[in-house]
Amino acid sequence: MSLPKITRLPSVRLLSSIHQQLLLPSIPPLTGPKRAVSQGEYRRPGQPKVDKFPWQPINFGFSKGFEGVKKHFALLKKEFSDRWVGPQGKPILEHMLEQNQVLWEFRGPESLEQWTVSSDQEIGGQSEVHLKLGKNHNTCLLYGTLSSTPPRDGETRYSGYCTMRSKQPLASFDRKKHYDWSSFNTLHLRVRGDGRPWMINIATETYFSHQKDDIYNYFLYTRGGPYWQDVKIPFSKFFLTHRGRIQDDQHPLWLDKVNTIGFTLGDKADGPFQLEIDFVGVCKDYAHTEEFAYEVYKRNPEI
Amino acid sequence: MKCARCLLQLQCLRLVGQSARSAAQHGALLRSASSSQPDMLHNTQVLRRFHGSPACAKSRPVPAEFINEDDKKRDEKSLVAHDDLFEQVAKEVKTKATFNKVVDVFIKRDIRRRGHVEFIYAALKKMPEFGVERDLAVYNKLLDVFPKEVFVPRNFIQRMFNHYPRQQECGVQLLEQMENYGIMPNMETKVLLVQIFGEKGHPMRKYQRIMYWFPKFKHINPFPVPQQLPEDPVDLARFSLTRIANDLDAKVTVYQLPSTDITESGEQITLPHIVGIQSPSQMELLAQHSPSRPVFVEGPFPLWLRKTCVYYYVLRADPTPPDEKVEEPFDPERCLAFPLQLDLDLDRDFGDEESFDVEDLDEGPVFAMCMTSQGDQAVLNQWISGLQQNNPILGQVPTLFRLDPGPRELQGPADTESAHHHRTDRPQREERQPEEDEEPRRSQGAKW
Repeated sequence: MSLPKITRLPSVRLLSSIHQQLLLPSIPPLTGPKRAVSQGEYRRPGQPKVDKFPWQPINFGFSKGFEGVKKHFALLKKEFSDRWVGPQGKPILEHMLEQNQVLWEFRGPESLEQWTVSSDQEIGGQSEVHLKLGKNHNTCLLYGTLSSTPPRDGETRYSGYCTMRSKQPLASFDRKKHYDWSSFNTLHLRVRGDGRPWMINIATETYFSHQKDDIYNYFLYTRGGPYWQDVKIPFSKFFLTHRGRIQDDQHPLWLDKVNTIGFTLGDKADGPFQLEIDFVGVCKDYAHTEEFAYEVYKRNPEI
Repeated sequence: MKCARCLLQLQCLRLVGQSARSAAQHGALLRSASSSQPDMLHNTQVLRRFHGSPACAKSRPVPAEFINEDDKKRDEKSLVAHDDLFEQVAKEVKTKATFNKVVDVFIKRDIRRRGHVEFIYAALKKMPEFGVERDLAVYNKLLDVFPKEVFVPRNFIQRMFNHYPRQQECGVQLLEQMENYGIMPNMETKVLLVQIFGEKGHPMRKYQRIMYWFPKFKHINPFPVPQQLPEDPVDLARFSLTRIANDLDAKVTVYQLPSTDITESGEQITLPHIVGIQSPSQMELLAQHSPSRPVFVEGPFPLWLRKTCVYYYVLRADPTPPDEKVEEPFDPERCLAFPLQLDLDLDRDFGDEESFDVEDLDEGPVFAMCMTSQGDQAVLNQWISGLQQNNPILGQVPTLFRLDPGPRELQGPADTESAHHHRTDRPQREERQPEEDEEPRRSQGAKW
């Protein structure tokens, strides 16, 4: 009775039943698109099931391909020609001796493309965040509303955060590129906040998959008011956290392969917020000789 | 310190207890030890019942005076969920005293403290309602609900295998709530944790982490805000204006105190407070401002102080166009301590560039700031008139009002073609045209 059913290939569900498998163990089951669980991503309860094959959302159009080819080959050509100028496209003297480097300046709409904003709406919360250019296209304004009511999914206890994170720099053909700040030791920002305490997150390139959510953090206290605030934070002050939890094993931030920098707001005050950033740069402060601000004690200390 | 001595004695007793193997010896030793100890902590129940294991503690009959305390606590004999205890008390005034009473009822109800984990979770959830979430004594009292000595691991296998995981998790959650509210635990917390969970449990590790990181981060805010903000709006305005002024020479002036008047017709008129601030350098800048160009009153801008948001208004002008900039030479006698201007021709090395390669943002000078509870044009006019006393130029300069709530940044030089303007700016611009004629007249006519 089961044999005629086997010949009908579209009835895939029957193939995966136990009887057929006992008779025909060699045919691999041609099952339908699996849920996101098999792709390794957590699907929040209540979100619709994504019922597509992994290759279906990709756009294989010709114009997109052509644009892509142009862009990536241009980047590749630039990379080759940059090697003749010096490391990272700058002359060697400049690379060795420079003391200040401006990383992000918000001078036009394309500068906003390098940043991603997100809030706790991804886990079901109600905070909103938007990013736009300030007046005269000189600054960027990150504004929105925080709401710390936790989403009602039975497992989240705290909520209410907004963040802005820079995108990972990409070389030709979408290869990951890293920032090399090894000749600098201080982060310099020019911001104008509204008195809220922010947190700066720096994510570096890691080797093990467990270290994926390793972020180095430090606080950014804004004064508020109409005057700009220059904030200088040495990299030795950044402490290591993993998924938001500060770790016991602290080590200084390694500056040779930095991926992204971000700003997070999570003070539990509900209401609107705004932060204006003029520029983000790194500089070398010769007066700062501290290597790391936090000691590392024994793993199992006595009381 | 009493608590430190208690801790040391606990450790000695535990060592002594481990060396003496028999239960009877244990009991006798501990009883003699406990009788020699004075009651160090106010939680005397611990030292009185120093039993070696839960099996030894036969159910001691609860003394009669605790059973019939109050009418509403009589139903402790029935099976109630622990939230209900708080619900009953919630009907009356919620204070620290009532919270402590509820915890006391639970403690005295059962010597074995059955259901203490759920009770502690419920209590932690109810703390903000009773207003005790920042009170360390209440947390210590709540930690005291745990039975002592029961959850302490006694050998390496118990230590390895997460002894009493639910209770440890509950202890960690209690400490985490303390951490969330920024409360530093004290020695009593440490002694309690050692008595309850032992020295190597998760709550103790969490306590150690709190004690390591909190002192490091306590004073890193360069603009600290006190926990208790002043309640008087004028004092709050004074504090926040000195904070945003960025200048220690700035002077705060109270132009109007808040008051409520009743006119003859019985109407109640509330006068809002107006507090302004201006520093000498701002006064100089205003004096140098040319009367042909307008000044703007912008606001309200938000300023957050912990959980409260206050709003301030700014008097500013657009930056002078480069052709109108006048370079005044520095008066060398203004400062005799050091020269204000040096023209030395130093050759700086390539590696000595100390400034960033960004164009300087010139948004125009800010002349004064003010804070008021009612931000409409009449009130701000009063402020400008008050400012005029010290800055007579305000009588000749046209003043424009750009009052607009919502995400604001200081408006740069007017840029009508820009597509990125804030949406509500356009109706503002229409309003401003008739205002432009009114304002010069108003600022000239207003006499304080």
